[in-house]
Amino acid sequence: MLRGREAREQQWTGGRFWGPILIVGAALLLTGCPKKPEVAGGPGAAGGPGAEKVTPAKPITEAPVQPGARPTDEGPLKDVFFDFDKAVIREDGKQALNEDIQWLKANPTARTMIEGHCDERGTNEYNLALGDRRARAARDYLVAGGIDAKRISTISYGEERPFVLGHDEAAWKWNRRDHFVVQK
Amino acid sequence: MTRLARITWLLLLSSGLLAVGASAQVDITVTRTVVQRIPIAVVGLRASGGSDLAAQALSVLVSDLEFSTVFEVLPPSFMPFNPREVRLGEEEKVLASLNHLKVQAMVVAELTQRGKDLTLEGRVYNVSRGVFLGGKRYFGEVTAIRSMVHRLADEVVLRLTGERGVASTRIAYASADKGATELYLMDYDGYNPTLATGNRSINLSPRFSPDGKLLAYTSYRDGNPDLYLLNLESGRRDKVSALPGLNIAPGWSPTGQWLALSLSKDGGTNLYLMRPTGGDLRRLTNGYAISVSPSFSPTGRQIVFTSDRGGSPQVYMMDLEGTNLQRLTFQGEYNASARWSPRGDKIAFASNRSGGFQIYLMNPNGTGIQQLTTVGANEDPAWSPDGRHLVFTSSRTGKKDIHVMHADGSEQKRLTQSSKSFAPDWSP
Repeated sequence: MLRGREAREQQWTGGRFWGPILIVGAALLLTGCPKKPEVAGGPGAAGGPGAEKVTPAKPITEAPVQPGARPTDEGPLKDVFFDFDKAVIREDGKQALNEDIQWLKANPTARTMIEGHCDERGTNEYNLALGDRRARAARDYLVAGGIDAKRISTISYGEERPFVLGHDEAAWKWNRRDHFVVQK
Repeated sequence: MTRLARITWLLLLSSGLLAVGASAQVDITVTRTVVQRIPIAVVGLRASGGSDLAAQALSVLVSDLEFSTVFEVLPPSFMPFNPREVRLGEEEKVLASLNHLKVQAMVVAELTQRGKDLTLEGRVYNVSRGVFLGGKRYFGEVTAIRSMVHRLADEVVLRLTGERGVASTRIAYASADKGATELYLMDYDGYNPTLATGNRSINLSPRFSPDGKLLAYTSYRDGNPDLYLLNLESGRRDKVSALPGLNIAPGWSPTGQWLALSLSKDGGTNLYLMRPTGGDLRRLTNGYAISVSPSFSPTGRQIVFTSDRGGSPQVYMMDLEGTNLQRLTFQGEYNASARWSPRGDKIAFASNRSGGFQIYLMNPNGTGIQQLTTVGANEDPAWSPDGRHLVFTSSRTGKKDIHVMHADGSEQKRLTQSSKSFAPDWSP
């Protein structure tokens, strides 16, 4: 729940073996998501930066990554992003969810956990409830799209597990999301 | 114009000029209403042996007495004798000269150390009447010196005001480190932080029971936000609510017989009441709105909470049965974290009405809004048990840390140095 400037540490302390893939994944995420379908997705994929076209008109935004921030690995299911204090599925969210429905239908034994997340603004307790609402919104969409509700579980992390650490919209928008974790 | 009018204009003009002149030369600080503090002298605590224990005890005692807002401690240089040299048994000799200085109270103390054992004795006097009010002797180990002095300070406050002081109280809070958020307890002055959870998951919303024996909190240790009770005396932990979805935001009734909490099991996040054993579950709010962060009035008859049923997070109040729902906040897009003062007269809350989040007070009917903080982002207010102070989260240093202030917003100071501590609660 913070605003105000924060000195950014630009250093990425390594030690994680899939670090370079994350950086690539993050760059792809920042340049393409959520409007473009990703060509290379997740840590398992072998896609490199050459596989993604960077649209010249759109500036690349940066946000600091520090130890403690979660990796943005998306796996085969696309995450859904939200406006501040909202759990309404936007158009780009519907696109992502439609693709998720396709994937889930194509992988009928897979189950998914939907994690609802919020940016740091607002109180911790309220954000737990908002994250819960976001997760349920995505679940309801999947169920309406024909996915068996028994394959979907939800959990809220509120603002407690941000993906991007930072105190402005450049960071906040990446944390207002439903994150899909596949459970085989 | 008439003579009277001319004089009036002259007076207005000259006072206006004076004001202008004054503000041009002097920085006018707005002082908040100051309640008269009782002037007190702290004597004794003579250094003995080579140790500085007496000096440490003196420092803690003076801090405790000053922080209470009850006392103004007389600087030693004002006394015509050396206050450190006053021995127990001789204290009555200095009463007259202290009375002459308009000092109203005196505490004389002595520390005796034998190896690892420490004895602290303190005696309290009403100086104006030259009367001994009471005394206590504390026995403990040297390592417990701060606790012993805290108890003496509370005794002094009790003797002079009839109310127990808060120097022996503790503050619980959450602190994030290396991907986990654990709960800690520390002395009310920031000393002696100890770990209360250690499950390497996310732990939130610590809330002391009214008798101080239990700590309610939410933990993800089993993979879901469940509600736990930690017995602070025995160390035993009980999972008291593990319903599907959220089991969060506990709030104790003043008798400790009920816990209010938010559950999302029925769709929407609604408020429920439950016995501390987990039984007797009753629903208080309905619908698909969010209702969280319940705080009981000290009478136990009403609950304030945060809800977005009106479109944005605002503070609402309702009766214990869930009836008579009223909205209390109408300014700003986000009003939350309401906590009812133990004195019953004020509700503290966080609001972003002035841009960033700040802490405010209001009357229980929503009127009389006072802003208490201005620097940085400030949230999560919690009252001391005597209603004189507030503990809160502040990011004014750039990182989140626990801070305290008096209930009028004065003397704001930082307690933790961790840079990721938040969500404090104050023990009874």
